[in-house]
Amino acid sequence: MALILSNECVGERVFLMKLQGLRAAPGQFYMLRPQERLSAPLLGRPISVFDADEEGLSFLYHMVGQGTALLAAKRAGEEVQAIGPFGNGFRFADRDLSVIGGGIGIAPLYYLLKEWKRRFPARKTEAFLGFSLESFMVSAFEDVSGRCQVNIGGFVTEDAPLAPGPLHVACGPLPMLRAAQKKAEGNGAELDLSLEARMACGAGACLGCSCATVAGNRRVCKDGPVFSAREVLL
Amino acid sequence: MNPLQTTLLGVNLKNPVIAASGTFGFGAEYLQFFDPSMLGGISSKGLTLNGSQGNEGVRIWETPSGMLNSIGLENPGVRRFIAEEYPKMRAISAAMLVNLGGHSIEDYLEGAELLNGVDLDILELNISCPNVKSGGMAFGMDEDLAAEVVSRVKSLSRHPLLVKLTPNAPNIVSLALACEDAGADGLSLVNTFLGMAIDIGQKKAVFRNVNAGLSGPAILPIALSMVHRVAKAVKIPVVGLGGIMTWRDALSFLMAGACAVQVGTASFADPLAMPQIIQGLRLYCQSEGLKNIAEIVGAV
Ligand SMILES: Cc1cc2nc3c(=O)[nH]c(=O)nc-3n(C[C@H](O)[C@H](O)[C@H](O)COP(=O)(O)OP(=O)(O)OC[C@H]3O[C@@H](n4cnc5c(N)ncnc54)[C@H](O)[C@@H]3O)c2cc1C
Ligand SMILES: Cc1cc2nc3c(=O)[nH]c(=O)nc-3n(C[C@H](O)[C@H](O)[C@H](O)COP(=O)(O)O)c2cc1C
Ligand code: FES
Repeated sequence: MALILSNECVGERVFLMKLQGLRAAPGQFYMLRPQERLSAPLLGRPISVFDADEEGLSFLYHMVGQGTALLAAKRAGEEVQAIGPFGNGFRFADRDLSVIGGGIGIAPLYYLLKEWKRRFPARKTEAFLGFSLESFMVSAFEDVSGRCQVNIGGFVTEDAPLAPGPLHVACGPLPMLRAAQKKAEGNGAELDLSLEARMACGAGACLGCSCATVAGNRRVCKDGPVFSAREVLL
Repeated sequence: MNPLQTTLLGVNLKNPVIAASGTFGFGAEYLQFFDPSMLGGISSKGLTLNGSQGNEGVRIWETPSGMLNSIGLENPGVRRFIAEEYPKMRAISAAMLVNLGGHSIEDYLEGAELLNGVDLDILELNISCPNVKSGGMAFGMDEDLAAEVVSRVKSLSRHPLLVKLTPNAPNIVSLALACEDAGADGLSLVNTFLGMAIDIGQKKAVFRNVNAGLSGPAILPIALSMVHRVAKAVKIPVVGLGGIMTWRDALSFLMAGACAVQVGTASFADPLAMPQIIQGLRLYCQSEGLKNIAEIVGAV
């Protein structure tokens, strides 16, 4: 069980929860459960690591159903079960970085930008954030990216140049990922995608999260969740 | 003396807790959490002769106290398993069960024959997968078909044969008796229950195959009742499973007559479920003054 240091509403049905004493790399995720094993809901909820510091990890999550509603009802000082970290996370390279986030898909990109800035301070970073109705956490992104452009109600993949040069990373709803994949392919740009799938184990054991790739099925939880846009068949 | 030490079909188990097929990969997926060598045994993901990419669409759906799955036996096939996964799995010092499914009797026979070439501990014949279109569970629904596949695999395989039964069979006790008569060395039950979910927004079944398999604590009382009835009816060893989450659940199955248990869905909710169950059983033996856990098998 992990101690909740804070759990605040930071937007319309969006919450930021900080848990004590966990570690992870950017792009990794945890399976979060509001309570201990026997009580419902049964399965953990895969939630990406939003940020990390000496105290622990933060998670940015959208309250959409039973599990996330129970997480949102938790208070600082209570505990949740946090199993992980899972997944490979993002790759790092000494080059420019451009990220595209759609809705709650912005979650794993903050820590990526922050780490990129720390490791490669001379490199340019930019963020294109798309929201359907209301933006959230934008000022945090402005602090960690050289440039931050917000789109509300439109297509964020139209804003992002997805041009050759930088590494592009996208996370968000499937139609957005498909559009980014298509545009990057047309432009010859290098794009990584962070995917979602329904998961039971998060550990690579159940094969519930398989996604099709040019090299056959891969597990989103263990072989991903980050894949090259060239390999996944969305 | 280890009070949990037990034997299953002549194979030594450190304890009666086995990872259920399809919920523990080929044994290495939970290394980040614990050493799988502490388990009594590990049953591999269900293999089919030529392998499969599994089902398309949604594969996992949470339900009240349980989950539906429609994985569809995604697996590398028997040959690739032998070449790539077997050596790693064998290096784990838990008993090694290889779960074999099939679409036809010929599939089962050829798979079993190939597996004669490796040093596994127990062949678990899966005649109970609800998620493949042809074969699979069909063999476990009909006593005559089940008897035929069991007797033919038995006569060809050099490994002890554990037959995994489906709770969807019209009469699980007569199915169990048919498998015993056909030469099964032991039985494991239950596989998942047929179930479905509907996406009411889209007015469509959630799963491409419409039906999927239900597991987890929701099925425990029904599974326990089946294990109890089957264990009373047959003379061969029975391995019990279905919804086990805690050591108390595991103990219930042992008291119902199972000589070992398997744990599946619980590992998804908590990767440490099995180590905790083993520890709980050990403490139970201590506090009850049992020399061996076998003393309570079939107590009810
Ligand atoms: C690798 C990964 C990282 C993620 N990171 C985040 C994040 O940082 N912030 C965030 O808000 N959300 C994230 N998600 C999505 C998040 O897991 C779901 O929104 C959440 O599981 C919904 O749970 P619920 O109980 O509230 O919803 P319910 O609809 O009640 O959930 C029912 C079941 O469906 C599953 N489920 C429902 N929606 C999704 C979905 N979109 N993806 C996967 N499983 C789903 C649940 O896990 C649960 O098993 C991520 C998903 C994945 C796969
Ligand atoms: C995701 C998943 C995959 C499974 N795959 C297999 C399989 O390949 N072969 C098999 O015999 N049983 C398979 N099963 C069934 C389990 O081994 C077990 O019989 C069932 O889940 C009931 O136990 P539980 O409630 O402890 O999970 C699978 C179950 C789940 C949840
Ligand atoms: S969630 Fe189980 S294999 Fe990915």
